[in-house]
Amino acid sequence: MTVYLLCFVLFLVGLYGVLTKRDLIKIILSLTIMAYSANLFLILFAYRTDALYPILSKGVQPGQMVDPLPQAMVLTSIVIELGTTALLVALVVRIYQKYKTFDITKIRRLSG
Amino acid sequence: MKQQAGMTIIVKTVTRLMVWIMLVYGMYLILHGHLTPGGGFGGGVILALAFLCIFLAYGRTYTEEWLNIKLLHQAESAAILLFLVVGLLGVTAGGVFLTNFLYHGELFSLVSAGTIPILNILIGVKVGVSLFLAVWVLSDPHLLEEGGDM
Repeated sequence: MTVYLLCFVLFLVGLYGVLTKRDLIKIILSLTIMAYSANLFLILFAYRTDALYPILSKGVQPGQMVDPLPQAMVLTSIVIELGTTALLVALVVRIYQKYKTFDITKIRRLSG
Repeated sequence: MKQQAGMTIIVKTVTRLMVWIMLVYGMYLILHGHLTPGGGFGGGVILALAFLCIFLAYGRTYTEEWLNIKLLHQAESAAILLFLVVGLLGVTAGGVFLTNFLYHGELFSLVSAGTIPILNILIGVKVGVSLFLAVWVLSDPHLLEEGGDM
């Protein structure tokens, strides 16, 4: 139970960063921390003590393995995070081109 | 000593030695993707990190000479196109998309699992090259000027 709570604390650390930081790069990093905590939570759900990784190898019965479904989901989620992070960084580069700053309090003008 | 682009000579020397080990390890993960943990994505990320080490240590100009960026763009597109071709060959072999049409082989041997190693290699190329190119494009100094285009 403690690990799940710690996972939630990690999520809150990310949320704190998103809500309070002014720098756009730090906001992206905080979003990544939130995503990591969600991934960690899913992996911890499938974790069992003394279980093996779910890959078929010599002398290993499927009953000894952990559930591979959350791991496959998390792998997909990591790939999607990679894509969204790249997209966010591209948007931030565009914002920097226009406003010459990463500070969100200074990005107010509508155009020009 | 003449100041050159990139980091200090210590970083450059270590990078020059380590990059080949990283590339070999990435290829190992890709080729053994159907037997051990790893596979196309993980191995491809390690390939991309090896390229990025060169990029960070030696700078942009040297990397442009060392790697053919245009060829990498073509390799990225070709990998996903070949993935589609393999998938459609599965359709022609009977069944649905990505049906295994090759010899299955013996369990736990390197040449086994039909089309899965081929698809792993294609995904590895795709992920490795596109991850490197994403950082490459986004770190273009020309981008920071007004009206700079990607």
